[in-house]
Amino acid sequence: MPQIELSKIRKTFKIYERPEGKWALLRGAFSRTARTVTALDGVSFAIGEGELVGYIGPNGAGKSTTVKVMSGILTPDGGACVINGRTPWKERTAHVAEIGVVFGQRSQLWWDVPVSDSFLLLRDVYNVPRETFKRRHDELTETLGLGGLLKTPARQLSLGQRMRCELAAALLHSPRILFLDEPTIGLDAVSKLALRSFLKEENRRSGVTMLLTTHDMDDVEALCDRVMVIGHGKLLYDGGMPALKARYAAREGEDIDEVIARMYEEMAL
Amino acid sequence: MRKAYLSIFRIRAAESFQYRIAALSGSLTSFLWAVIEIAAFTVFFKYARGPGGGLTLEQTVSHIWVRELLLFLQPYNIDGDLLGKLTSGDVGVELCRPLDLYWHWFARTSAGKLVVFVMRCLVCFLVAFLLPGGFAARPPASPAGFLLFVPAVLCAFLLCSSFLMLMTAVRTNITWGDGPMYLLGLAGGLLSGGYLPLQLWPGFMQPFLLLQPFAGICDIPARLYIGSMEPSEAWLGIAVQLFWSVVFIAVGRFIMARRVKTLVVQGG
Ligand SMILES: Nc1ncnc2c1ncn2[C@@H]1O[C@H](COP(=O)(O)OP(=O)(O)OP(=O)(O)O)[C@@H](O)[C@H]1O
Ligand SMILES: [Mg+2]
Repeated sequence: MPQIELSKIRKTFKIYERPEGKWALLRGAFSRTARTVTALDGVSFAIGEGELVGYIGPNGAGKSTTVKVMSGILTPDGGACVINGRTPWKERTAHVAEIGVVFGQRSQLWWDVPVSDSFLLLRDVYNVPRETFKRRHDELTETLGLGGLLKTPARQLSLGQRMRCELAAALLHSPRILFLDEPTIGLDAVSKLALRSFLKEENRRSGVTMLLTTHDMDDVEALCDRVMVIGHGKLLYDGGMPALKARYAAREGEDIDEVIARMYEEMAL
Repeated sequence: MRKAYLSIFRIRAAESFQYRIAALSGSLTSFLWAVIEIAAFTVFFKYARGPGGGLTLEQTVSHIWVRELLLFLQPYNIDGDLLGKLTSGDVGVELCRPLDLYWHWFARTSAGKLVVFVMRCLVCFLVAFLLPGGFAARPPASPAGFLLFVPAVLCAFLLCSSFLMLMTAVRTNITWGDGPMYLLGLAGGLLSGGYLPLQLWPGFMQPFLLLQPFAGICDIPARLYIGSMEPSEAWLGIAVQLFWSVVFIAVGRFIMARRVKTLVVQGG
């Protein structure tokens, strides 16, 4: 049985809008019109243990929504999702104890205290034994080069430095699965390369399953054997990167971004 | 598991001491406000005909300073950071922790109060002992009263935190806005004795005033300190505090558990 299995997951959001026109503000106080947006329209896939999967799609396709559902922090309207034998949103606390999540746009570090304090807190939150924690902590500090950053409050870190700390924070409790939502956003070329090689190595060494969303196709090419494409809440492609390229590239050696753009166009996204 | 909540309490307390200067300057406001109030009460007691309600002037002055000491417990506002997390969607990060969101935020909320207690309230209270004559803070009415005042303050801390968590749970429905919160906060402030000692209110209201939920936030500990509640009656005061704490926790947890299921984590 695969480690992660989604079948026909659906999620719609209600968006409330103010009426337009005369007296709109006043009428808006009493009546609102609701519009529904379908973020996920029956998404199904399965991911096995130790896989490193890229999850791509244009803006608003439903990537972050999928990650939220799989993290147990958003309840879908329908469909089933079983991860490590549990339904994430039904057994949230047991589920999240075994996964790590990095949201590129948000921080999980405490803003005003040294990074190392945030790490120590995570030890207690995830109930990691002292010895195990120390080993893991030293290992991550070493491979991510955090030595000089640990005593700095998170708010004083640059984006790239912070992202390295975020990764460590997500992996300190040795999760079996790691979800990354745009981890490379805003990083310079050097940081990006470092992050990629770290993820690749971590996946190879500790066998942690990874699913990563990104708009940087080089991330996907460098890291993922398998790529899933989502658009308008539907899964449109699931397979290898070479096959995807072969199908949509106009010529040999075409830039990957152009290939993806053509694919989005052909899929009418 | 309990250790996790303690650690959250600790880290949040450490973090909030970032704002010690702001809290310290708040102590000046507290101080001036109390002095003005004492002057007004002195005039009032001097010229009012007949006994001025259930307290003497000395007790009233003492009540005012104890109230400044307990000001950090006034339930005006829920934790600003938590409100920010709800509206920005950072609550998603909190939900990714294998913790009960209620106790997680309970620890945060209560820890955030400590800086105001130490830097604003305690400073103001201690300095008040140095004031001349009629303005000075007074020692507790009796040693026994003081020994009961300490646990009553701890219970007030519990009560205040659980009330704030109830407000937070209600506020988790972010579309409601701040209106209901302000009303609740205002009622809480008034009924806690934070504006006027409850024993100066009309006599027929006294049984209600003692038993309602907010007396325990300020007035009950203050009564034990100034001696307007006998140490032998303290059990009733503390029982009232604990009773309402349990009620607030139960209702807060119930609402929070339901909200978490339907919570929409914003952004992405
Ligand atoms: N809280 C919300 N309320 C209403 N609509 C939402 C909400 N969150 C997402 N949506 C809608 O759901 C759809 C999918 O959003 P999602 O954030 O999953 O996209 P995404 O694939 O992560 O996009 P991006 O690449 O821009 O991050 C979008 O149309 C978006 O407008
Ligand atoms: Mg997104």
